[in-house]
Amino acid sequence: MSSLGKLIRNENMKIYRRPRTWLMIAFLVLAIGLMSGLMKWDAGSDDHADWQQRLSQQNAQLQQELQDNEKLDADEKTDIGNRIKLNAYYLDHDIDPNELSLWNYVNTSASLTILVTILTVIIAADMIAAEFSWGTIKLLLVGPASRSKIMLSKYIATMGFALLLLLLSFAAAFGAGGILEGFGGLSRPELTIAANGAIRESSMIADALQKYGFAVISLLMYVTMAFMISAAFRSSSMAIAFSLLFMLIGNSLSALLSGYGWVKYLLFSNIDLTQYLAGASPLRPDMTLSFSILMLAAYYVVFQFVAWLLFTKRDVAA
Amino acid sequence: MSDPVLQLRNLTKTVGRRNIVDDLTFDIPAGEVFGFLGPNGAGKTTTIRMIVGLISMSRGEALIKGVSVRHHFELAMTHVGAIVENPEMYKFLTGYQNLVHFARRHEGVTKTRIDEVVALLGLQNRIHEKVKRYSLGMRQRLGVAQAILHRPSLLILDEPTNGLDPAGIRELRDYLRKLTKEEGISVIVSSHLLSEMELMCDRVAIIQAGKLVDIRSLQETRDSAQSKIVIETGDLPAAQRLLASAFDPSLLTISGIGQLELAADKSAVPHIARLLVSAEIDVLGIHAVQKSLEEQFLEITGGEMVV
Repeated sequence: MSSLGKLIRNENMKIYRRPRTWLMIAFLVLAIGLMSGLMKWDAGSDDHADWQQRLSQQNAQLQQELQDNEKLDADEKTDIGNRIKLNAYYLDHDIDPNELSLWNYVNTSASLTILVTILTVIIAADMIAAEFSWGTIKLLLVGPASRSKIMLSKYIATMGFALLLLLLSFAAAFGAGGILEGFGGLSRPELTIAANGAIRESSMIADALQKYGFAVISLLMYVTMAFMISAAFRSSSMAIAFSLLFMLIGNSLSALLSGYGWVKYLLFSNIDLTQYLAGASPLRPDMTLSFSILMLAAYYVVFQFVAWLLFTKRDVAA
Repeated sequence: MSDPVLQLRNLTKTVGRRNIVDDLTFDIPAGEVFGFLGPNGAGKTTTIRMIVGLISMSRGEALIKGVSVRHHFELAMTHVGAIVENPEMYKFLTGYQNLVHFARRHEGVTKTRIDEVVALLGLQNRIHEKVKRYSLGMRQRLGVAQAILHRPSLLILDEPTNGLDPAGIRELRDYLRKLTKEEGISVIVSSHLLSEMELMCDRVAIIQAGKLVDIRSLQETRDSAQSKIVIETGDLPAAQRLLASAFDPSLLTISGIGQLELAADKSAVPHIARLLVSAEIDVLGIHAVQKSLEEQFLEITGGEMVV
């Protein structure tokens, strides 16, 4: 009987022995390099020498507006007050808020996890359908491994690939940031104003990891969906096409239809949990964080179950 | 006879309302090359795919070395090596990597064993090349290699010669013979080509419309083959009249222009010759022929055999 570990090694061999996979990895690293270069180039066009003077000027202007403009409501007043407080804090602690540190690069790379998601979706959609396209499914299934075990090994290998890409994009951004700005800015804090008006220092790495964390949730959902689609199709190009299509039009579809009540039950309406962070507003006012988490969990279970049903119960006749 | 290597018990596959495979029950003895023979669409492939778990069974059971395929699939499959039609391999991997892939599924297939199988099939020169550069014959050999890595007791081949040229078919046949002899493997092979089965198999099950028609040993079939006598004559009606009175008329048929066939033994030839000559009927030729296997199977399946 086959051990799961060996089956996973087989699936890994089939992923990493294909030149396509290495093109994807090179593409990702290149994209992060390019992004970092652009950030550096863009920041270089500003002059940072007189940042203290500019912050003081800005604060004076904000102060003026607070006094002169009588149409401001309470929210706007606290907002302006907070900005003044933050600027004063920067000046007191000699921190240039516009100076790039390597964390800025890591933070921006978190928005590139969409790329990681797309690449992993392609791999996932290919995972089962390709065996049918190649005709290798027959030899794969006729062996001392149950279909459930084969499917699990494929899913784990796919997730391993996603993890590799995530680590790689984090490391590439960290490296690029370190090379371009030096590793000195590692300990620089992220400053935010808490609800009670106090200034809070939090670590930049926590902020970056939070961004990555939200991205991983949508990655997990899209990849699992693609895996299910892969189990449904016998042609890998069809499976890839449909997975990417759903992923790319899903969000705009949800936004477009957000007027209807039932939209909140769509996967795409719940997949972005950052809509519940402070300062953002959810797609529909009646949606809550726990509702979205529940919906995502339900979709995840359904995707896995349908994929399992399709893969284990189907007759391989062709 | 030793314990059967494969037992089928009321094996049935229903699609819609039709039974593609209908209530097959028989045992396949160990140590033989056993053929599934039948016209296209008779249910051979479906039967084989049910045995190896590619297609679910609607009813019944298949036991490999006494282990139920339905209930203990993983255990049952440890005894089986299979080639289903043309073995498709991972083309972007080398031959060797493909073998490593299939070896990992089994316990205890060592590197030495892989090398041994590679040598047995004569693949050592090109085993580290990508499979996409292999010819169909080489892929077939790699398919056989993959199937025997774990020393299975049963090798199942489904239409293994589809798409092979005559040289490739011959090559495969030689390997199969070598395997049964050297590794003591039982083989089940399905084909619609009688000529091929005749050369490969010890015993065949004839399947038609999903049902078992007969199981027979090819050797016995050959031995018991009926013979017939073909008579060519210048005066067919007279010869027919004469022979119908001398023999049982039901044994006599007209088989061509001026040609009669009589189902009888060689020993009847002199008697027939004397009869015809004394009645002054022109004799152009008399000879005895054995019925070919093909004709016999055509008889069994009612003329439906595709050869």
